Parts: sequence; structure tokens; C-alpha cells
Amino acid sequence: MKIAVAGKGGAGKTTVSGTVARAFARAGHEVLALDADANPMLGVSLGVGPERTELLLGVRQGLEAGEVEHEPTIEGMVERFGADAPDGIRLVVASRIETDSPGCQCCGVSPDQLLRELEDGHRTVICDLEAGLGTLVRMEPGNVDAVVVVANPTAKALEVARRAIEITSDKDTEVIVLANRVRDQDDLDAIRAVLGDDRELIVIPEDPTIALADRDGLAPIDLDENSPGVTALIALTDRLAGAPVPA
Amino acid sequence: MVGKGGAGKSVISGTMARVLARQGPPLLALDSDLLPGLSFSLGAGEDPALPPLREAAEKDEDGRWRLKKGIGPARAVQRYATAAPDGIRLLQLGKTPREGLEPIMGAVNAYYRVIHRLGDVKSFKQWTMLGDLPAGPRHIAFDWAPYARVFVVVVQPTVQSALAGRRVARIARVREGVQAVFVANRVNGRADVTHVERLLGERVVAAVPNDAGVAEAERLGRAPIDHAPRSPAVAEIERLVTTLADL
Repeated sequence: MKIAVAGKGGAGKTTVSGTVARAFARAGHEVLALDADANPMLGVSLGVGPERTELLLGVRQGLEAGEVEHEPTIEGMVERFGADAPDGIRLVVASRIETDSPGCQCCGVSPDQLLRELEDGHRTVICDLEAGLGTLVRMEPGNVDAVVVVANPTAKALEVARRAIEITSDKDTEVIVLANRVRDQDDLDAIRAVLGDDRELIVIPEDPTIALADRDGLAPIDLDENSPGVTALIALTDRLAGAPVPA
Repeated sequence: MVGKGGAGKSVISGTMARVLARQGPPLLALDSDLLPGLSFSLGAGEDPALPPLREAAEKDEDGRWRLKKGIGPARAVQRYATAAPDGIRLLQLGKTPREGLEPIMGAVNAYYRVIHRLGDVKSFKQWTMLGDLPAGPRHIAFDWAPYARVFVVVVQPTVQSALAGRRVARIARVREGVQAVFVANRVNGRADVTHVERLLGERVVAAVPNDAGVAEAERLGRAPIDHAPRSPAVAEIERLVTTLADL
């Protein structure tokens, strides 16, 4: 199964990706966490720590630096450039921009290419997309099984979520919408007003545990797996899985 | 204005632009984000479905985009920038439409050419240019803000936001004659400012408080300066404008 997580910057994509990945891993899935943001942060939410997250090499930068001699396969790159994260997760950073001469934008390995070509028969791939809609737009129908659109109750984030849902609607994939950081009925009403009354919304409540984890660079699931937000994210894996764990 | 997604770039950009515009010199707001944001925070409401700037570009015989004959940067701003409150002119490359980027590629190309030639035009010497960049390092690295002498890096009191801020400042500072300064946003008290400064390893030039008025403006898609003109956050952004003028 392949899942991509999309939304406006700051909506909570990385927290959702990291926590859902950890929950899948704890439920027995082999998990590949793919960080498709040029400003990669997924390591932090997975519990790898900020220092190690800063040291992770992007696949693209690794290839450009000649880290692989022969024509590399996608699986070979995952092996070569991946890092281990808690609960047995393999974390792969697609590309990171670290200099003011990052090479050609359209050459080299791209997040959508990795997402398309990664094998998922035996594992669950969770992909944290770059803020915005670029990768969703480029994604071909059937590349992923589900797109999780993270929306929080601000006019801008909802406008981005609305566009993300629209773009994803003809990509032959299930679209699951998270109402994130919901404090009260007003927040939920604001989200419904933009995304529609009849749309299924998975509500992730505002959670001081997640705020504290963000502040200190920890995985929310390590801080308190029973907090309301983390509990809701763990429950999301059942909704996403639908099918039993692959053998 | 640069920083991680959701850090508050657009809110601070929009408010700074309004404060600067009221002080006198003409102000050009430059929005190179494919996601909505700045227009709301300026108080100019929703973005047009398609950017007016697409009229400035055409394809040559080889299918490459170019500016139409007779359209230089001055005319492009005069014709295709839209009006925002306090006499602000807003130039945008457009927002991702449902069909993907194809319908706005003319505007994206025209925008890149126009901003790279703004410096050649004498009549713009008196203007203040304020650009709201998309989340992350991509636009700095690919030179989407050649007009900028100061990069204001917006950071919230979280580890991921500070890591992202450090990354973009590092890339911006490679440029000659360019400064990067940090602004802490959504801080609750002195402890948060200390936390941000410790994560960054340097001082911030302003600390915008967490502010209920601004949060409400965000929820409603309004400009903070219209919705909460006397709020502590707007006052601190006014102070930031003075600080930046003295740099």
C-alpha cells in the first residue's frame, strides 16, 4: 500500500506522516517512510531526532555526488541512502536543497518518480509530500492507493485542501481528509463550510502533547501514545489499511 | 519573507506591506507562492482564478515562453499587478489550478523574467519591494527573489521550524550583499523567544506574540491589520518595519 500525505505548509503533514508510519510499524507492517520535501523534516516526527535528521543525505544529492557507481535501481537507492528509524521503519529522503546551486529542477530523481517506482507489495509506503500541490499535480493516476489531505481550520489551509482534493479526484486514488487541530465545533463548522457537509472527515483534535513534541523535536507517539491527537492518528491506520496486514 | 510552511510568512508579509504602504513610498508586493496566502493577509481577498500576468507572455516559434513585445517590467507591473488596500500593487505568478500548472505557465515565466529585470528600471528605485516566498528553500536556491537585500526568516518556537529557518538562512547568506534576519512568530512569552534563539543559535530581531486577533483573522481570511489593528502582534510587526528600515 502507498499513502501520500498532502496539505498546506504547517497544516501538520509531517506529524501525521510520522505518527501514522510509527503506528503501522507497531501494528506489524514493514514501513518505508519517504520524505518528499526538499526541506526534509520527517525524521523529526518519526523520532530520529533533529541532529540526525540534519545529517540524512537526499537520494538525489547522493546520486549527484557519485555515491552509486552503476545504474542504480530504486530499491538499491533505498538500501544505500535510507536510514533506520524507530520501530523498524526505513526512512528515505528524496532530495534536499542545501546550497544555492541545487542543479537542474527537472533532472535527476524526483519524488513522484520514487513514489511511482517503489515496490509496495510487501510493505506500506508513507510519503510526506512537499508543502503545496506540485507533486500531486505531477502524480499519475494509480501511483498511490490513498492521499491523505491534512486541513486545519484557517482560510488559507482550507483553500489549499480544497484544491488538493480537486486535483486528486481524477488520480484514481482514495482521498481521505483530516480535519487537523480541531478545538471546537466552530473549527469543525469552518472546515465543513469549505469542504462540504457530506464529506467524510477524520477529526484530529488539538493536542498539547503534539504541540509539546513539535516544540522539542520529538515524535508525538514517544511522548504520549494515549493523548487525544495521537490516539486519533493511530486509529487512522485502521481506516487506511482496510485490508489485513500483508504476509 | 521566507521560512517553513505555516510559520506565518504571509501574515507578517501582508501586515508589513500595509504598514510600509501607509508610510509613503509605493509598495510592490510580490507573491511567488503557488498556494493562496498573501492576498488574504493583505486584505485583498481571494486570488483571481487565473493570474492577469499570463497576458504578458507568449510562446516563440520554438515553443519557449517570452515576454510579449513592448512589455518590460514597468509595463508588466502597470498592467498586470492588481490593487490591494493602501495603494499596494500586487504581482502574482498565479495559484495552482485544478488542471495542473499548464494554464498559468505563461504567468510563471513572465513573473520570473519581470522580477529579474525590476532592478534595471529607474522608476522602481523609490519603490519598496516585498516578496512572500513559498515554504522551504526552493525559491531562494533557484533565485526567485533577486530583488531582495534582506531575507526575513520567520520561525515559530518549534524544532522543525527552527531547522527550516537555519537551512534557508544558510542558503540566503551565500549571496553577496544579502542579509538574513530571524523573526520569531507566535511566541507565548519570553521563554519561547529564548527557546527559538537557542534552537537557531542566534538572536531574533523581533518576536511576534501569539495573538487571538490574528488567529481569528486567519480563520476568516482577513488582513490582521484590518481585523485586529490594535493587537500586540500588529504592534510588533510595526516595530519590525522600523527595525528593518534601520538595517
